[in-house]
This record gives sequence, C-alpha cells and structure tokens, in this order.
Amino acid sequence: MSDKRSTKREEPSLNDVVRNSELILTCGPGGVGKTTSAAALGVAAARAGRRTVVVTVDPARRRADALGLEAGAATDEPHQVKGVTKRATDGELWALMLDAEQTFDRLVREQAGSRKQADAVLNNPVYQAISGSLSGAQEYMAVERLHQLHASGDWDLVIVDTPPSRHAIDLLEAPDRLVAFLSHPVYRTLTVGQRTFARITDAASSMFLWAVKRLAGPQIVEDTIQFFRSLANIESGLRHRAKQVSRLLRGDRTSFVVVSSPRAEAVGEAEHLLDAISEKEFPLGGVVINLIHPQPAELSDDDEELLADLDAGPLADHVAWHAELSRLAQAERDEMASLRRMANSAPVIELPLLDVDIHDVDGLVGLADRMG
Amino acid sequence: MVAGKGGVGSSTVAAAAALAAARDGADVLFISVDGRPGMGPLLGGREINDREQTLQRVSGGGKVRGRTIPADQAFGDYLEMRGVGGVLRRAASSASLPMLAAATPGLEHLLVLGKIKELEMVRYAELSGVDAPPAGHAAPFLRAAAGLSDVVQSGPVLEQAREVGELLADPERCRALLVALPEEPPITEVIELAVDLGDDLGIALSPFVVNGCWADRPGLDKSPAMAARSHKLKLTDSAKAALESAAAFGRSRLQQQREQIERMRSQRSEPVLTLPRLATPRLGPDDLDELADALIAAAEDLEVPT
Repeated sequence: MSDKRSTKREEPSLNDVVRNSELILTCGPGGVGKTTSAAALGVAAARAGRRTVVVTVDPARRRADALGLEAGAATDEPHQVKGVTKRATDGELWALMLDAEQTFDRLVREQAGSRKQADAVLNNPVYQAISGSLSGAQEYMAVERLHQLHASGDWDLVIVDTPPSRHAIDLLEAPDRLVAFLSHPVYRTLTVGQRTFARITDAASSMFLWAVKRLAGPQIVEDTIQFFRSLANIESGLRHRAKQVSRLLRGDRTSFVVVSSPRAEAVGEAEHLLDAISEKEFPLGGVVINLIHPQPAELSDDDEELLADLDAGPLADHVAWHAELSRLAQAERDEMASLRRMANSAPVIELPLLDVDIHDVDGLVGLADRMG
Repeated sequence: MVAGKGGVGSSTVAAAAALAAARDGADVLFISVDGRPGMGPLLGGREINDREQTLQRVSGGGKVRGRTIPADQAFGDYLEMRGVGGVLRRAASSASLPMLAAATPGLEHLLVLGKIKELEMVRYAELSGVDAPPAGHAAPFLRAAAGLSDVVQSGPVLEQAREVGELLADPERCRALLVALPEEPPITEVIELAVDLGDDLGIALSPFVVNGCWADRPGLDKSPAMAARSHKLKLTDSAKAALESAAAFGRSRLQQQREQIERMRSQRSEPVLTLPRLATPRLGPDDLDELADALIAAAEDLEVPT
C-alpha cells in the first residue's frame, strides 16, 4: 500500500517519530482504533530499543486487552507488556491505564505546601465528587500523568492515548482551561482573604453562592467555599504546572499523531483536529489512517459487459458485492486524499481493516510491522 | 434516548428513528445533546442550534423539529422557572455556571436532562428523540440524576434529580435505544450499556439496533467460477481474480457479522433490529429516508411473529 513511499528515503516516516520523540500523543475520533494504534507505536518503539510506556485513557476501562491490562486490573502503575521484544538490543514496553482520580490526588499532594493542606483538599466532599467527574478532568489528567511520567526520567518515550473527543481540542486546551478556571472572578473573590460567606459582597460571587444555595442546599455552599479556599493553597502550584505542561506539549521532542478511519465522519473530525494542532502550534508527528477497506481488482470493460444484467443467483451476488466494495473503497480513497493534503509534510500511514480484531500482543506486533 | 459507542452512527440512527416516527404522523422533537454538526441538514433543515426549527414536514401531518440544549441555556430557563428575574438571571447564568458546574458534579447533565423532562411533562412534542453523548459519556450523562443525589442532600436540585430519575425509569415515558455495529467492540459495549442503563438504572430498553450491516450475499460462499456455472457462464481468469479479490473480504465480514449478532442475541433477551450498511461514505437526506424505511420494516418484522 505504501510501497512508493518506503523507497523514498528522504521522506519522514513514523519510525523516525518513534525513534526521536520523548512524548507522543495519539488523538482522534472514537471508534477508529486509537488505543490499538498507540499500542502498536509502543511496540515499534520498544523494538527500536527504547524504554516505552503507553498510557491509555478509557472511561470504560476495557479496550486494553491487547496490552495485557485486564478489565478491572487497572491501576495507576505501569505493567510490563511481555512478548513484544525478542532481541537483546530491544527496549521494553510498559502500559498503564489512567486513573484520573489517583492522578488528581497525586497532583494535589505534590503541589500542596503541607500534608495538612493536601488533606484539606482531598477530604473535602466537593473535591471527592469532582475529581473523577469534573468535565475535562479526564483530559487534563491525561496530560498531567504524561508530565509526571516524562519528568520521572524513567522512560525514553511516553505515549499517551488521549480520550476520544468530538470537539477535538478539549485535551489540547486542558491546561489553559485550568488556568482560566483559577482566574475566574468568582473564584478569585471566594479565595481572597478569609471572608465569611455572609461578608462576600461581590455581586457575581454572592450570586454564585446564592444560586448554589438555592439549587443544592446550604451544606454544599459551605463545602464549596471550603473547597475553593483549600484549593487556594495549592493554586500557584497548579498554575505553574499548567504552564509547564502547556510548554511540554509544544516541545521539540513531542509529537502528535492523529488517528482516523477513512470514513467521512471520522475524517471530518480528524481534519478539525489537524486544524487545531496547527493553529495551536503543536508538533504534528504523523497521521495514521486505520480500518481501510481493501480495494478489489477492477473488472475489465469486457467482463463488466458480460456480467451486466445477470439473473439473481450466486454470480449476481459476487458482482453486486464487487461493485459495492469497489465503490466504498474508492470513496475512502477520496477521503484519504483530503487527509493527506491536511497532513502536509507529516508522514501518513495507511492500515487495512483486518479480518479479525486485534486482541493480543501478537496482533500488535503485526500491526507495528505494518506501520514501519 | 439513543446511545452507542463513538463511530457506530448512533446520531444517524437517532435521526432515522425521529424521521420514522414523523412518517407515522408524530410531531417529533430531535434533541442533539452535544450539537454534533451535520444533523440538521441530514434531517432536511439547517444546522441545529439552541433555537428550535422545523427540519422537515412529512406527508400525513408528521414533522421533525430540532434543537440542541446547551447547559447554560437550560440553567437560565431553570432559574426563570424558579421565578428569578431577568437581570439577576443573566448575571447568575453567565458568572456562575462554570463554577457551579465544577462544584456540583453532573449538574450540567442534570440541567439538560431536566429541560428534556420539562418538555416531556408539558407534552411539548409527541416524541422527543435524544441523541445522547457518545462513547463512554452516555452512561455518565444518564447517571447524572442518580449520582447527584449522593452529593446534594436537599433543595431543588435534588427534586429535579428525582423527577429526572422518575422519567428515566418509566417505560411509558422513556426508553433507551442502544446502537452497535456488527463488530466485536461495539457489540460488547452495547451489551455492557444494557446492563448499566437497563439492569442497574432501570431504564426500559428498546430493541437493539445493529447499524451498518452488510447485505447477506449467500452466493459469495461459492467461488466465482462455481457461481458462474449456476448462471451457465464462463468467466475469464481476470474476472475470476477480480471477483475473488472482493469475495474473500466479504466472506470474512459476513461471518463476523453473523457471529456478533448471534452473540448479542445469546447474551441478552432484547430483540435485535438490523439496519443496512449504505454504500455512500457521506450520508445525505435520501440515505436517511432509506434508513428510516429500513427501521420501520425491521420493527414491523419484529411485531409479526408474536
């Protein structure tokens, strides 16, 4: 499929990306095999001698069979994936499933000035409720965990499989959003000084508290104020971290890999994502187009003529199927051409729709070979 | 409430179901929770936004209206309903929703569900078709009502959560329509969603819809040469090769499709409807008509045997 390109040495390949990056983020619409692609990149990296960890983010926690992460066995610590590497020069592949709550807890502990301050945040009922479900928390924690792993120095390469996003840029904007949240005027008034609820006179803030009280009862007002106050202790740390992460995402050794299928819907979303990546000046490492239907060989004009207007029967089934698959495959190739244009000079890897789903390490190794 | 893993076409199925109901003479409100682009034009109108529009009228008096329900608008409407005046309301909804939402998990979902519930209670439309958020987000969305009552112990939010919970659990008023593709991961997801939403949350389930099914072509089981013999034709070698290059893939897909649908039937008691896979990669209003026809036909087939 990519014969022509692999003979032209000067063109960048995904192998270079895997060899040279310290961070890779795979992103794309749902249902295109993004987790599997991230894992296959991990396999390729390990075989290129690199100590690699793949972080998957899956709210449902179940699509990581291929990485040996059994459902329910999700922990925040990396597990080694066996059976990937064979030669002595090979690196290692590890995998972990993101646990947004644990990552958030760790962040709070790191950024808090003291254990007491950390406990004040962690034990607050409002914090406990939001740490797992705050909108955007999953996205933010994915980049946060990436930063933790990268900063640990334990890994040559960290690959993060980001949550699928219809709006595509949630993840990319997560650190900035946290800073915006901390700069919100209501938040500022609530956390400046040790005012009591009764003495807060700022219109927007009292409106906010009034609304919370009206809607959800007085207890949550107290908890909320306490939560924001306790958060104030770690605020500068969080801000600083958000900036670090934002810088890291734009670093020289960071690559974004966009994964899509050739279906029009997915391509539309992938193109939005490519736009956002280019606009925000994130480094694009490549595009993986996955789940491509095979293109059947063409029928000659004479054969077409012979096979036109058949009566119903097995050969008519064959001809109709050949026509259907050919049409679909051609439409996909048109979509792919549009993605290629968007990818600009970044490498584009095409992967076929396989007969069987990948559900084990051997399947991943096969996929990694196809990527090379 | 229509839900499914990302990329299975649950929005399209929601639109086709809305259209099918309108053909039956119903006044249908199509609600896109996250305002996915392209749905308005697919239903024959302009892009859907927070202002309701009539997307399509069908012969027989039925019609499809469409809108999104952004959380901040639902919040404003909610305050209005509670008798909060204009200026205060604007200040409150612009300044505090992000904060409020941060402080009260699931509140945004609840506000949207609450608005849907209001529309349902005043019988604003005969049927509301809700295109729920995709992927892992559908269950948290529908769980918002149940989840909130853990944090919030009193006040109107709790009341709202209770009313939404009642709506979801009442099979006369609300059903969840779960959508899959005939492949392993989405089928597994629907089986799990069915446990989550149906068994745990008590939401009544419609028949499952398996979207994007390849038409069954039993002739593929024969080789092209054998198949040609039944038609008393002789194929050139190039024709045989070309047909076989498509057939190998077709056989394996059809087999996977049969196995996965069978697995779904064996693990759950809900009936299964199948929708055809359309050859076009970019769906248009004509394709949606075709899907609505197929949905009606499949539903009628279900009703006949019993």
